[in-house]
Amino acid sequence: MAAIEVTDLTKAYGDVVANDSLTFEVEAGEIFGYLGPNGAGKTTTIRTLMGFQSPTEGTATVLGRDVRDDRALREAKRDVGFLPGDPAFDESVTGEAFLDFQAKLKGDSRREELLSMFDPPLEREIREYSTGNKQMLGIVQAFMHDPDLVIMDEPTSGLDPLKVETFNSFLRRERDAGTTVFFSSHILGEVRRVCDRVGIIREGTLVALEDIDSLLRRGGKRVVVHAKEGIEAADLAVEGVVDLTTLDDGAQFTFAGDYNDLLDILADYTIVDLQIEEPPLEDVFMHFYGPSENEHPDPLGNESEGSGTEPTQDVEVEEADV
Amino acid sequence: MFEITRYESRKRVRGAYLMTVGFILLAGLYIGLYPSFAESGVEFETYIENLPESVRNVFGAELSTIEGFLAVELYQFLWLLLFGIYLAYSGGGLVAADVERGRLDLLLATPVSRARIVAEKYLSLLVPIVLANLVLPLAVWGGVRIVDETISAADLFAVHLLSVPYLLVCAGLGLVLSVTFDRADIAQRGGIAAVFGLFLVDAVTVDTDYEWLGTLSPTRYYDPGDVLIEGTYDVTGALVLLAAALLLLLVSVIYFQRRDIN
Repeated sequence: MAAIEVTDLTKAYGDVVANDSLTFEVEAGEIFGYLGPNGAGKTTTIRTLMGFQSPTEGTATVLGRDVRDDRALREAKRDVGFLPGDPAFDESVTGEAFLDFQAKLKGDSRREELLSMFDPPLEREIREYSTGNKQMLGIVQAFMHDPDLVIMDEPTSGLDPLKVETFNSFLRRERDAGTTVFFSSHILGEVRRVCDRVGIIREGTLVALEDIDSLLRRGGKRVVVHAKEGIEAADLAVEGVVDLTTLDDGAQFTFAGDYNDLLDILADYTIVDLQIEEPPLEDVFMHFYGPSENEHPDPLGNESEGSGTEPTQDVEVEEADV
Repeated sequence: MFEITRYESRKRVRGAYLMTVGFILLAGLYIGLYPSFAESGVEFETYIENLPESVRNVFGAELSTIEGFLAVELYQFLWLLLFGIYLAYSGGGLVAADVERGRLDLLLATPVSRARIVAEKYLSLLVPIVLANLVLPLAVWGGVRIVDETISAADLFAVHLLSVPYLLVCAGLGLVLSVTFDRADIAQRGGIAAVFGLFLVDAVTVDTDYEWLGTLSPTRYYDPGDVLIEGTYDVTGALVLLAAALLLLLVSVIYFQRRDIN
């Protein structure tokens, strides 16, 4: 049985179609990344899955229960963990009091174990928490009742890089122990590192659904290199280099080939600066899925979430991680 | 059961204490003023007589006795109006504030029904209601003795007990607005306006052709003057108010179960 089954799911807010006839499944025991730029409709799907809002058309099941059936979904929630994007808490209570409260409603068999990895200052009032501490408190509450399925909206935002690593390896261990993980992200690199399968959503529509290996082949890194003597374009005519632009003192391109080949080439130069980073998600879409409807206005004038309202420069670019 | 009520109640204790202390201070001030007020009673009654009838109905009771004085100054104003407004305001924040700030998500994600969330949050308003109704009659009783007056303990007890359904209705009005609007300040201000508006509607329509309009107001079913001055207890009125409070809760629950939470 699929842990999540989304069938023709449409959610419209007035005239704005935030999710347009989505269909996909999340298999039990996998880590599924729900990838898309800001405003693509990821949060809309998650809120529908959690039963916070009803679908306009179509439906979805969570652990076999229809999200339109409030009573059935409530049963499923005993085994579901949830972490909202930018989680909000009562500011006036301590982290401890908040966890105690949540524990009474759903259980906390794994609380101590989680607190050994994610350690917000529980004795303090939540109003004093940093973004990272709030995120850790959110992670602890999402997993503490040992759920079978965890649904998370941008789970690593606000975490420092070390905690992100802790979180990622924790997720892999959970997956190996049989937990299903569904999380949204707008950072390609993050999804690559932990996910088994990825669904890519843009402007409310699912544009790709693939396993991580295909995405890796399709993806690529943005490389900017500066060398004392400049870079010869001819030297870079190897497999995996696309969109090459030569600069006065270097070159800029997207690279999807073998790093060792690239490093061999660059070894002949006196490198002044080298950046290898995640390409902005919009670029990935441009390369692999064609231009967005923003560039080609829909003749019917249909609007969709994000069109025109979300600037594309909002898309996050990760620092080099080689 | 009642985990949510317990959790929400704890957050209300501090505010409820402060409010009760404020009420005691105000009550003390009024009662302290009473002896000098009683001396000048004749002049004041002349003043009241000269007011237009509708205004007189708002304040018009026998101010020259301690019972009448308390009914008008303390219970009409402090209890019906101020406490009613406080509860409608608090009721307005019950759900809308959490929705607005996104705090409700982590509660909605638990295996708890929306009906239970709304009902248990509403019940947390019993903290200020019960605390104030327990402490204030004692304070009033003591204050009245200090200024060498007496008041019927039974009536004093009854005036507080019978006020509970009225106060629950005020909180319920706020709750209805709170599940309807996503912005807490709109729900809270709406709650204040509703209680104040209904108070006025009842007051200004008494003895006019529009008196029937006042039957919509909760103040029509609870009159502290009747209890304190005449010693009559309107139990039917209290039951009507209790039913109205339940109805408001029911409407809130049904509406909240159906709506999207964004």
